[in-house]
Amino acid sequence: MVISFEEVSYRYRDRGMTPILGLDGLNLELEEGRMIAVLGAPGSGKSTMLQHMNGLMRADEGLVRILDFNLESGDSRKIPPKLRQRVGLVFQYPEQQLFEDTVEKDLLFGPLNFGWSEAEAAEAVRRAAFFVGLDEALLAQSPFKLSSGQMRKAAVAAVLAADPDILALDEPTASLDPASREDLMQRLHGLTKAEGKTVIVVTHRLEELVSYADDFVVIKGGRVIFQGTARELVHKQEVLEEAGLMAPSSVRIAGTLAAQLGIETPEMLPDAAALAAWYAGLLESQS
Amino acid sequence: MGTIDKSKHAVLLEHVYYGQGCTNVLKDVSLAIPHGQWVCIAGRNGAGKSTLIRLLNGLLLMSRGRILIDGLEQSGRTLGDIRRHIGMVFANPDDQFVGLTVEDDIAFGLENLCLSREEMQHRIQTYAERLDIVHLLNRHPATLSGGQKQRSAIAAVLAMEPSILVLDEAASMLDEKAKNELLDSMRAMHADGRYTLISITHDVEEMAEADRLIVLDGGMVTADGSPRELLLREDLLQRCRLKAPFALQLCRELKERGIDIGELVREKEVQEALWLYHSKRYLTATGTGG
Repeated sequence: MVISFEEVSYRYRDRGMTPILGLDGLNLELEEGRMIAVLGAPGSGKSTMLQHMNGLMRADEGLVRILDFNLESGDSRKIPPKLRQRVGLVFQYPEQQLFEDTVEKDLLFGPLNFGWSEAEAAEAVRRAAFFVGLDEALLAQSPFKLSSGQMRKAAVAAVLAADPDILALDEPTASLDPASREDLMQRLHGLTKAEGKTVIVVTHRLEELVSYADDFVVIKGGRVIFQGTARELVHKQEVLEEAGLMAPSSVRIAGTLAAQLGIETPEMLPDAAALAAWYAGLLESQS
Repeated sequence: MGTIDKSKHAVLLEHVYYGQGCTNVLKDVSLAIPHGQWVCIAGRNGAGKSTLIRLLNGLLLMSRGRILIDGLEQSGRTLGDIRRHIGMVFANPDDQFVGLTVEDDIAFGLENLCLSREEMQHRIQTYAERLDIVHLLNRHPATLSGGQKQRSAIAAVLAMEPSILVLDEAASMLDEKAKNELLDSMRAMHADGRYTLISITHDVEEMAEADRLIVLDGGMVTADGSPRELLLREDLLQRCRLKAPFALQLCRELKERGIDIGELVREKEVQEALWLYHSKRYLTATGTGG
């Protein structure tokens, strides 16, 4: 297991009189080299869980294991050195993550801070910018002058530049155009296959991850209520409902057609080709 | 040119430029949007979409050109007036809340219009009902779901009775359920006929419902027309980095398998076409049809 949460609880104490439960005895095991989608309604604990992964938040109860680090609750709050280099976190709002006066400096910050030489860092920055599809001409600009989509790409590149083993991204695709979204997902998926990295993506769009993520985790009330594959998840109406998700278009259309034809909704890959093949086969068999 | 009755357009842009230094974010944009139209603006990241809509109410000031809103020509003198004609809703509803309750928040905008107390209460009630948030009026904005927040933000904007509603990726941070709620509200506003809707979006399903699609690329308008036609153009989709709507992908996959229901862009239309398709076949096969 590259990541494991054992009975992890966390309460927010800074939000009013009564502490708000962020995580409630959460158990989760994630394997190395996979792409994992984390889904859930707002306030379900997705981002809280993510922030436990590089020690930004420390559990009140339970044990978090990341790579070969053990983060115990009630531990002296010291973060093991190297943890943050090996676990990169991309936040939900890029404007809260970027801070330098040029995009390039922002991307250099991590690698230089982790002790790389200037040449190594510059090469890492160039690679990361290319990886996310960020135009090199933008490197000299202020990150705050970029469009919202370009800013998002810069934030992802800034974390990637430090070459972490685990990459956790909180809603990385909001404000990206659909092709950039798909492109990013494809590339992140490539990182897991080619380099054995573990990629965790928090999202509220099931459809964009359906063809890429290996595992799907749904969180509600600070607990895991589902862990499994896309095929399993798209047919679990009650789990989707809890997470504020809708079944993908293909599953909805297949469901309606099946009802009209008086048969059971079949399990299939949620894409247009699979749906068309199923429908054509069905008409064939009925004639 | 020159003979257009300007008051007929909700928005009229003539040769508008916007830029800093020698880089132009918008280049020679001319547009006429009639009252009551639902317009989607699409384009890849950095195409100039947000810049364009921020010019309408002077959040950004154009470098060159003319902008008329409901027949009012934009200038330092008219800007205050123009802002009453345009309501704006942004991606992150949290950026838009100022009040401690949803009701306070709606009232805030109205106070600035110097309305009487009765009129304010009347409007709060009217628009809360219309957006289905009456039960939320006493809630703190932070306790609402994403969809409820965005509906409250729209109610606060509509209560000021603008004629033009501008949405800048208003659904991009919402989950799928909330996104559908927002789309329902937009359909209702469009049907109402009182509003001109201008929506920046990457959502092809939303575009398929609009009256008109304007595509920006490199700060210029590269396509402008019916979404039903534009969404069929693969070259255009690629240029603004969009994927064909799922409905259309399905139509094409079906056609390859000998099932031709035409090229449709909306899920509902595909559902109906498929229903017709197999019921007709059934009738023919069993000889019970005409």
